[in-house]
Parts: sequence; C-alpha cells; structure tokens
Amino acid sequence: MLILAVDSATQVAGVALAEHDRVVCEEFVNFRRNHSEILLPLIDRVMKESQCDWPQIAALAVTAGPGSFTGLRIGMATVKGLSLATGLPVAPISTLDVLAHNVAGSTALVATLLDARRDEVYFTCYDAEGRLPQILMPMKACSPQQAAREIMDLMAATGRRQVILLGDGVAPYQGYFSEHLGEYILPVGPHVMLPRAAALASLAWEALDRGQMVDGLTVKPIYLRLSEAEYRLQKGVS
Amino acid sequence: MNDINILGIETSCDETAAAIVKNGEEIRSNVVQSQISLHQKFGGVVPEVASRKHIETITAVTQEAFVRAGLDYRDIDALAVTNRPGLIGALLVGVSFAKSLAYALGKPLIAVNHLHGHIYANFLENPGIAFPCVCLVVSGGHTSLLYMPSHHEYQLIGETRDDAAGEAFDKVARFLGLAYPGGPSVEKAARQGQPGLYKLPRIFLDRDNFEFSFSGLKTAVMNLWRKLEKNGQADVNNMAAEFQAALVEVLVEKTIRAAEKYQVRTVLIAGGVAANSALRGTLAEKAQAQGLEVFYPSLSLCTDNAAMIAGRAYVQYVSRDFASLDLNAYPGLLSL
Ligand SMILES: [Zn+2]
Repeated sequence: MLILAVDSATQVAGVALAEHDRVVCEEFVNFRRNHSEILLPLIDRVMKESQCDWPQIAALAVTAGPGSFTGLRIGMATVKGLSLATGLPVAPISTLDVLAHNVAGSTALVATLLDARRDEVYFTCYDAEGRLPQILMPMKACSPQQAAREIMDLMAATGRRQVILLGDGVAPYQGYFSEHLGEYILPVGPHVMLPRAAALASLAWEALDRGQMVDGLTVKPIYLRLSEAEYRLQKGVS
Repeated sequence: MNDINILGIETSCDETAAAIVKNGEEIRSNVVQSQISLHQKFGGVVPEVASRKHIETITAVTQEAFVRAGLDYRDIDALAVTNRPGLIGALLVGVSFAKSLAYALGKPLIAVNHLHGHIYANFLENPGIAFPCVCLVVSGGHTSLLYMPSHHEYQLIGETRDDAAGEAFDKVARFLGLAYPGGPSVEKAARQGQPGLYKLPRIFLDRDNFEFSFSGLKTAVMNLWRKLEKNGQADVNNMAAEFQAALVEVLVEKTIRAAEKYQVRTVLIAGGVAANSALRGTLAEKAQAQGLEVFYPSLSLCTDNAAMIAGRAYVQYVSRDFASLDLNAYPGLLSL
C-alpha cells in the first residue's frame, strides 16, 4: 500500500508516493510559485510514473501549515477533492514537523523557520535525535530576533552546542542569524532546507499506524495567524 | 444524447456553492452556503476571511449537492468550476478542489466564467431564450453590458469605469448607516422614501456609449447628504430612493439603447443587483414599451450560486470545451 503526499505550503510544490519504508516516487519543484497550475500535473506524473491506481493507496497526506495561506489552501483543497472522490483518509501534518523530519537522527537542536512576511517567522524547535522529531515548544509566529533568543535559551537549557536552521525563513535573516548564532550553526545542504513530500509521507505513515487520521471533510489549515482584517478588528484599529 | 448531469462549484466571492444540473436546464440540487454573517462585522467581503471559510465548507457543500440530487459521485458526467473573475484566493479553493475531484473521478472538467454563469441563470428557467440578445450583468463586482449573438459569442459593449453597481449600493448603505449588504437594505429604505425630492445626477446618461460610473454617484450622495444634514433635512429613506432611482435609470436607459443599437429583441439581466425590484420593474416596463422581451432570474438565482455555473457548463460540454489539469484561476475577466 502507498501514501500519496501533497505539499504546497511554501514556495515548494511537492508530491510523493511512498510505501511504509520505501519512497517510490517524489516530485520537488522549487522554481516558480505557480502551485495551482503544477500541483495536479505533478500528482498525475507521480501516479503514472509509479503505475499506481487509487485502490493501491491507503491514505493521503498534506502539509497542514503553517505556511503561505493561499499555498496551504491549494494543497488542502486538492487533497479534499481527492479524498471526497476516493473516500481515502487524510493525514494533516505540520509543515514544521515535515521540515524537522528532513534531519531526523541529528544530535543538534533543530530550529524550523518559515518566512511569515511582516518581519516574522513561523518558528519552533525540535529534538531530532530519535526516529521522529520531538517538538520542544508550541509553534508560533514571532520575530527572527525572538526566535534566535529562544534558540540560545534552549541550547543552554539542554546543553547543546549546535543548532540546525531549516526552512525558507532562514535566508531572509541569514545575516542576523550568523551574527547571533554563528558559531553554533551546523550547516546543512539545500536538499534538506525545504519541505519534502517524501518526509511528509513518512510522517503520515506514522500517523496512519497510530490511527491519527481525519477525513477530508474536517481537515483544515493551521494558519498560526489571524487574517489582517480580523487582527485589526480585534485590536480595534480600522 | 443521453441526459447529462453536471456538478457545478462556485467560490468566487463569499458564497460556497455546489449544484447539480441536468442538461443545462433542470436543477437537481442547488446548495449555497452564504458567508454574509461572517463578513457583516467588516462591512464588506474580506478576501482572506472568505478563502478560509471556503476551504472549511467546500467538501460538505459538495456532498450535500449529491445527497439532495440523489446521485452518486460516479453518476455525474462532468464537473464545472468558476475560474474567473473573482477573489483570487477564493477562486483557487474551488478550482483546486474541483480539479482534483474531477481527476480522481476520471470525469471531464469545465472552466466557467462567472459572468457567463450569471447570464445562464436565465436559461435555467427559460430554456427557449432567443438569440441574439443584450445582457446587463450587475453585481457586487461587475456592471457590464454584453451583446450575445449566440451561446458561444460574447461581445463586451460597455462596463463600469469605477465602482460596480453592487459596490455602490454597499458604499452608500455604509455611508447612510444602513446594513450590509447594501442592496437589500437600500431597497428597503427606498420603499419608504420618495425619489425626486432630492436631486442626484444621472451619471454618463448623456454620453453616447455604454459605460457606467457609480463612484461619482456615491460622491454626489455624500456631498448632498452633508448639505442636508447641515440644514437638518436629511432623510435616509428619501436619499435611498433617489440614489436607487438615479442608478436604475442609467442602467435601464443604457440597456435599452444597447438593444436598439444591436437590433435585438431579447434583453437579459443577471447578477446580484438583478434582484433589485426597482431595476426589474423599471426595465420590464420600459423594455415592453419598446417591444422587447425581458428575462431575469428568480431571486434565488440572481445571487451567486453553482446551478448557474453547471447550467452554463452544459453549453461548453456539448462543444467539448474541457479544461486541463493545469487549469488556473484568474481575478480578472481576461476575455469574455
Ligand atoms: Zn456574482
């Protein structure tokens, strides 16, 4: 059996088909942000390349957020449509969990940072030593300065001397992170810096094994942020 | 040809809608989940709030359309989805969902222009409408006059230069302290007032073209209202009545002139503002005096719905006008 994993949470559009312990096919496109055009053709290609038909699929997986609001909805709407047609259950997985899973096994602290615009990042940290990353604090949107401070605090608290920074929220603030975390940063390759649908599929298998699936009706994105209009209404600004 | 059942999906603004229509004329189900209450506190549709609601409700609304039609997913012959114009984030939810649903069901997908959908709301109830015709599409997002020689040809002959008619209703309602959405609340106030007591301009009526401008009318309302308030004479109902009369007069006159110029016998109105009874009444009256035949959809089919999308899609189904897997959504009209 296979899991079909679909990710369009960031500038990456990714699709993977994976058995329990074998990635069968993966598409990863980090080129133009035209997810609405390419995502379904990528799914079609992965299905055809793997000679896969719907009865072979056990579940669907989708990056649930955080990420680009529109990107998240493109991925989730796509998976909801597939789920309605096939009756397949869905594993919604945090985009930050997927990122951290890219470096599973590392003894360094893993910090995941996605560009949240407005000078903020979507951020959390993981202990990635085991087979599955263990989240160390709630996910949130915060300034890169605050993220750097919390990374330093966590390293002090856990006695670590190294941190791996992952996600598209690293590059925009590279200078700041180098200045404040420089000696502690463990560099990694670009192939693990962004979400991978294969990692999403792997975490979805864990969710399936534990029975943590939802149906396409109820799954919804994790934004970590109100819409601008709701935020203004709450703050009483107009 | 056998009966053709098409599922329509519509998410271009603040209604999440799904419907199944047989042969472009028989509505088998028509589910509309309105978000109006959600946007009321903002005084207008907030795109991000709309998109968030669409993704939460789209599956349930689609399921409901099948339940009410008594059909299984496999029973439909094609899917149709609005892919323009509209709020891009909102459109993308419907387009992404419809594409993958069509793909997994192995059914063809049809991309429908929202304005064509509004026009075809008329055909759902009047299958025998004769071409050529002139259509006035009036809604929160659009004020356009079209000339339609046949099912497959559209010519945009005029549109608004600034605000759409529905937008003008919303803005004037907000200014006068009337409820959102502005269309129904202005109409209600207007019924208790009298047009002509205050004088508002009929903007562009003197021009020999089919363009509209409602931003100027809104400004004229504001200026006159402030003057009246100073003199202690401001009456909301009379202002609403004169505003509605000024807007309707321009819409009706230009539509009838278009029918004359293009020598058509049939006039259609469509879109949310087509629900306005002053517009319906005035147009019907004036057009009949000219020997024209006027059609407008019943009230529930004027506002956004998916039956009109599935209805329009039938024409495209017959001509095998199918979309590919890379179908995208577009905020603007592009081409009619
Ligand atoms: Zn509309």
